[in-house]
Amino acid sequence: MNESLMFQNAPHVRQSESVRTMMTDVIIALVPIYVMAFFYYGPRALLLGLSGILFCVVFSAIGALVLHEKISFDLTPAITGLVIPLLMPATVDYFVIAAACAVAIFVVKLPFGGTGNNLFNPAAVGFASAAICWPAKVFSYPAPLQTLEIFGENTAAMAQSPAYSLALGAVPEYEVLDMLLGSVPGPMGATNIFVVATCGIFLMVRKTVNWITPVSFLLPYSLLLALFPRIEASSFDSLCYELFSGIAIFGAFFMLSEPVTSPKRDFGKFMAGITSAVAAFLFRYFGELEMGFAYALIIMNVFSPLFDEICEEILHVLRRGGKLKKVFFEKKPKEKTEKEEKLPFVRVLKKKKAEEAPAEAVEENTEAEELSEEEITEEPVIEVSFDETSEEEISEEENEEQEEKEPSEDEKTEEEAAV
Amino acid sequence: MSFFVRGIILEQKKEPMLTRSTLVMRHEYEYFDCDFPDIALDELSREQIIELARLAEIVDESDGKLLCEKLEKTDLGEGGTLIIDAVDDEPYISSQMSGCIHHPEKVALGIELCEKVLSPEKTYVAMYKHIFDTNFSIPKKIGNYKVEKIGGRYPAEGRVYRHIPKGKNAVVVGACAMLHLARAAEDSRKMTSCFITVAGDAILNPRNVEVPVGTSVERIIQLCGLNEKPEVIIMGGSMTGRSIFEPENEVVGPTTRGIIALSRGYHNPSPCIGCGRCDHACPKALSVSTMRKLAEFGDFEKLTRYDAALCIGCGACSYVCPSRIDVAATIIKAKKQMELAKKEGTL
Repeated sequence: MNESLMFQNAPHVRQSESVRTMMTDVIIALVPIYVMAFFYYGPRALLLGLSGILFCVVFSAIGALVLHEKISFDLTPAITGLVIPLLMPATVDYFVIAAACAVAIFVVKLPFGGTGNNLFNPAAVGFASAAICWPAKVFSYPAPLQTLEIFGENTAAMAQSPAYSLALGAVPEYEVLDMLLGSVPGPMGATNIFVVATCGIFLMVRKTVNWITPVSFLLPYSLLLALFPRIEASSFDSLCYELFSGIAIFGAFFMLSEPVTSPKRDFGKFMAGITSAVAAFLFRYFGELEMGFAYALIIMNVFSPLFDEICEEILHVLRRGGKLKKVFFEKKPKEKTEKEEKLPFVRVLKKKKAEEAPAEAVEENTEAEELSEEEITEEPVIEVSFDETSEEEISEEENEEQEEKEPSEDEKTEEEAAV
Repeated sequence: MSFFVRGIILEQKKEPMLTRSTLVMRHEYEYFDCDFPDIALDELSREQIIELARLAEIVDESDGKLLCEKLEKTDLGEGGTLIIDAVDDEPYISSQMSGCIHHPEKVALGIELCEKVLSPEKTYVAMYKHIFDTNFSIPKKIGNYKVEKIGGRYPAEGRVYRHIPKGKNAVVVGACAMLHLARAAEDSRKMTSCFITVAGDAILNPRNVEVPVGTSVERIIQLCGLNEKPEVIIMGGSMTGRSIFEPENEVVGPTTRGIIALSRGYHNPSPCIGCGRCDHACPKALSVSTMRKLAEFGDFEKLTRYDAALCIGCGACSYVCPSRIDVAATIIKAKKQMELAKKEGTL
């Protein structure tokens, strides 16, 4: 009985949901989109998806081998590999997908420490870099409902995508219902709005995706699109054409909501949604590229730590009973500069060395003393200030702080009791 | 709206233990001699009741203090409230609730005696009501005393104070201590036993047991039987208890709420994916995900800025973590180190 018992930290009951179930949810939600792509473009769509998975998994395995890490069986590279082909036309070459996957894994993910540490959305950066390198391949779309050749030269009939004609300022010649069903040329995963939205709602119901992220992106985005139409049509028509033609809806559910790079709190997610909506609209309105969403997403990723900080600051005030004065105008203890911080460290070093070599090794001892003395003599003025003035100030101010804090805690307990 | 909701919904898993009768381990009861054996229960004076609690050596299971000291030193003042704590908000644990439910008369008698000492204006029994996986309904009254149902999400222990009038004092006393006080008054019996929930998927016959104080954990597990070989044995609550290695050397005390044997522990945490669920779960609205990173790097100055001292150690963040990371344990450990550093003056 004894030997088999293991140690476990405090909460001994855990939620049944794990990272694996979350990732499986996303993969399940992506499958119907691939089925629709198969319906419109034939087996080449499925092969593109499989090759995406293969490239991403192989690249991350290579990365793990190079970094001498254990090869883990997490599903995040597979999702990146599944999302990237859906943003591209079905005629795209396999090497473009390989390049996008390589950028996603080798540039975005691995240098920052692998899963959970990337700064930007890997799929978005992979797609963006591919779009910059091969715009002719990434932005030329085949007409739907034709079976493409699996390998070899592309002989499919090409067509103008609604996003392109919108960029030129022309009204697209497709009906809105066709755009909802996806039988218009465009990225192979993002055109069938009905299926994408259903899969997104599935993810929101499963709580794998927080509902705030897509809603706070799509509402301001559609509002902006309705207010500033690019074509000569009614604002509702313009809104429908604009909203259903890009990758915005697909991205809102599957890329914007990626947990690693989006803010952690609800209010932060809300702010991030609005930021990316404004950025995506500006890219669409002033930019020449059709798919500005990926770049908007990257911009949002840059700001997401800032949104977290803002949330933390607000909560910092709220935890003190909502009194701004106490938080911002109270006297703060003098912040230690870098040089001042060094001083105690030197002393500790000196002590340690003295302990290690008490009397036997006199030479080392003297060396240590010399070293420490040198370092101290470099900044003699600061030491004096640290000893005589700043410590007293700090202690007085700390006392003041404590006096100020005590009533706030009392108020808090009262509030809790009242609640 | 998740903007305002804090805490977590827990699957309570109380069912077989709560409705089954309490299993009493056979042991010899100890009795005490008192100077006033013939006085009727109604005529006991304040000092006599405190003397009874002292002679019976009753320990309050909600905080581990001696009941006689608690009764003697508490001065509720005008309009004070006496709260009987039967809030078992942790999964599996139902020792206090079952004490109330299966011995309502005795608990009511204990409360009556307690009321005589403290003379509060209002008295209520606090019970946790969000137990969805059972048909059992919480009684409206224990004896003549009202049961206030404490609702809401997991860390509900702090919410027992929500029914007291504003600006008045309140004291919390455990329900099982009341039971023991009644026994002491009726039969002059010493408190030699404690109520413990034995549960978990490795236990054959999960139920509430009454065992002598100082029984070893292994003996109690033998009493209820083992289904399969357990991998983890926990002493205390399922959310805040500690895992033990030597069940034959660990003994139970009055404050032990439960013993839980699980056939499988949690292995192999995966890296944090930053989903922010821990931030939402925190009942104190702390930025848990950032705090965990700071705690791992040992940046104590920033941790003070993030209000690490407010952490109550409820373990809600670890419960929701999909990566199975020991978030709460990391932060609590850093908090202890911070306190040490403050004492030494290095922070």
